[in-house]
Amino acid sequence: MNKNRNVGIIGVGQSEFSSHREDVNQPEMIHEAVVEALNHAGITIDDVDCIVHGNMELFEMIHQPDLWHVLGSGAYGKETMRITTGGTTGATLCCAADHLVASGLHDVVLAIGFEKLQEGHTTGGITNMADPLWARQLQTGALTGMTAEQMINEFGEDRAKRASMKYRIMMDQHAMKNHKAHRRFGLQWDQAEDLMVNSPALVGELRMIHMCSQSDGACVMIFASEEKAKEFCKQPAWMKDHITVHREESFYMFGDAPVVTSHRYAAEKLFERNGIKNPKKEIDVFEMYDPSSWWGLDWLREFLLFENDEHIKMVENDEIAIDGEFPVNPSGGVTASNPIGATAMVRVAEAALQIMGDAGEHQVPKNVNQALASGFGGTMWTVLFLMTRDIPW
Amino acid sequence: MSTQSPDSFVIDGKLALPYQYFAGRTGSRFLTSIRDEKKIKGLKCEKCNKVFVPPRQTCERCFEDISENWVELENAGTVTGFTIIRYEEPHQPFKPPYILAQIKLDGADTSLTHIVKGVALSQMKTGIRVQAKFAKNSTSTIMDIDHFRPIKPKFELGYSYDELEIGMSASFTKTITESDVYQFAGISGDFNPMHLNEEFAKMTPFGTRIAHGALPQSLIAPVLGMKLPGLGTVIPEITVRFRKPTYFGDTVTATAEVVEFIEARRWVKLELTWTNQRDELVAEGHAIAIPPTPMG
Repeated sequence: MNKNRNVGIIGVGQSEFSSHREDVNQPEMIHEAVVEALNHAGITIDDVDCIVHGNMELFEMIHQPDLWHVLGSGAYGKETMRITTGGTTGATLCCAADHLVASGLHDVVLAIGFEKLQEGHTTGGITNMADPLWARQLQTGALTGMTAEQMINEFGEDRAKRASMKYRIMMDQHAMKNHKAHRRFGLQWDQAEDLMVNSPALVGELRMIHMCSQSDGACVMIFASEEKAKEFCKQPAWMKDHITVHREESFYMFGDAPVVTSHRYAAEKLFERNGIKNPKKEIDVFEMYDPSSWWGLDWLREFLLFENDEHIKMVENDEIAIDGEFPVNPSGGVTASNPIGATAMVRVAEAALQIMGDAGEHQVPKNVNQALASGFGGTMWTVLFLMTRDIPW
Repeated sequence: MSTQSPDSFVIDGKLALPYQYFAGRTGSRFLTSIRDEKKIKGLKCEKCNKVFVPPRQTCERCFEDISENWVELENAGTVTGFTIIRYEEPHQPFKPPYILAQIKLDGADTSLTHIVKGVALSQMKTGIRVQAKFAKNSTSTIMDIDHFRPIKPKFELGYSYDELEIGMSASFTKTITESDVYQFAGISGDFNPMHLNEEFAKMTPFGTRIAHGALPQSLIAPVLGMKLPGLGTVIPEITVRFRKPTYFGDTVTATAEVVEFIEARRWVKLELTWTNQRDELVAEGHAIAIPPTPMG
């Protein structure tokens, strides 16, 4: 693994995430995040060479929104590119921005991920993803009770349900420290028993409380070449490496056999080529795309390459808490805020903020030298990022 | 499921795609002033000296926040471009055909897209001046401006110099009666017995009473003054050569046709002919016309 040029993240901006943003139209909402990112980086739009823009295709039922959004994105007269890869869009935008800078094509690239879910109809956009007769083994949409079922079978009903609910309450406690987060319930530990039983069931043991929100919001990140990053920023978050893995079907086609998830495959490859032997020890913070607390819990095992119940123990022992040994989603994660086209970028942005030391109230109380961030999308699509405090290459 | 070819099924699908659109705070203020004050407002970037309509929270050029810099615009503007919608779709606001135009309001630097009514499709063109007509019932949308329509002058006018073409023609036809002739004698003071006294007239070359020559000649006045060029026209010159008499009961048609442009003065020359029901040429001549110029 090597790069033509080192790429540093020098600015992050996020709009307020909410289910209600009637006060702004799409370009206006994006503009909030663009301005915050420019201010964070201490630059102006004139310093930006190229804009990459993306969201879920047709979630707002608007074709080519990047053209309209020039009003707020600052793309007037600049190189620009639109990217849409489903749930991973925000992550793929980061990959593209990294490539554009690393290749030498541009010095400063501004990436925009957004979604205004309240204006559209999510299911309308997703439902036609797979052929209704032949291809329903593809994952269409994020509502699935399958993981809950598998975990209950493997670890026992009580332990599995308690662990996933504990994960959920921890995420809410993290979100309480992040004023940008959409859902901040203020959940207390003694509510766990009640929620496990009384939260409305969606599919099997996947309940409303476990599930991510539908949010409006935009995230903006500014990527710069080593030279520019050093010029503009005291402590950039350096993009060391990233990997994209995609597998079409999320079920094993020939019966009930385990499949290698795209998460595990991505983690194995990324750690191997970056010499990471013990990810849990070597990585200081992990921002994971966790669409539900069942998935968040289960995927911890996949990303950290565990075989048994180590991931459950991590939750049971508070290791993933913001002040724990291996903090996961100090921002509150996806169950707190989910403006889909921005969601995966928010993971990378939050990991970058942790390295830069700019996460504010939800900054983890330790030095972050190495951070991991993941993006996820249907069908099984993983983008995994490794970012560092020191210049990597 | 349908079978358009014998061995391959085609599966029909249909998706409903409901969505909403957030006008935002800036867009909502724009709509509110249209709804409540019947005023169209824009946002001005002082730095770039541009007025945006519909309004934009930030200037796309310099990125300044201009969201409080409202300026009031005229409710009238100029059409900068248009299209005529002729196909029918369920989401359209009207049954086609209708005109969708870009209208640059007086005082704005950008164009607003809206519907133009009150102009024949074939006559629609860029550059025409239009005025907003507000809707009777509010929907708190841009349709609170119901449509734009051409600003009409206070009085209708005939063809202007620029609208006239060589070959354009118009006519007026009337039957000349004894009563017309008798009244014309009174108007002109010409009580010549050849027009009024049948016994006297029998001795003339015509053998019977005939109309005054100026009577059929005057039938060109409604043509030039009311049809071609029409209202507002001034006629500084008419020449006539009489060819046949007009007898009582004859039906005379007076016709004018544009034959020449007098470019230096922006006048036109028209060829005039008078014919009767026997297709005889009663008289011929020409007129010089000063076509109407648009007022105010």
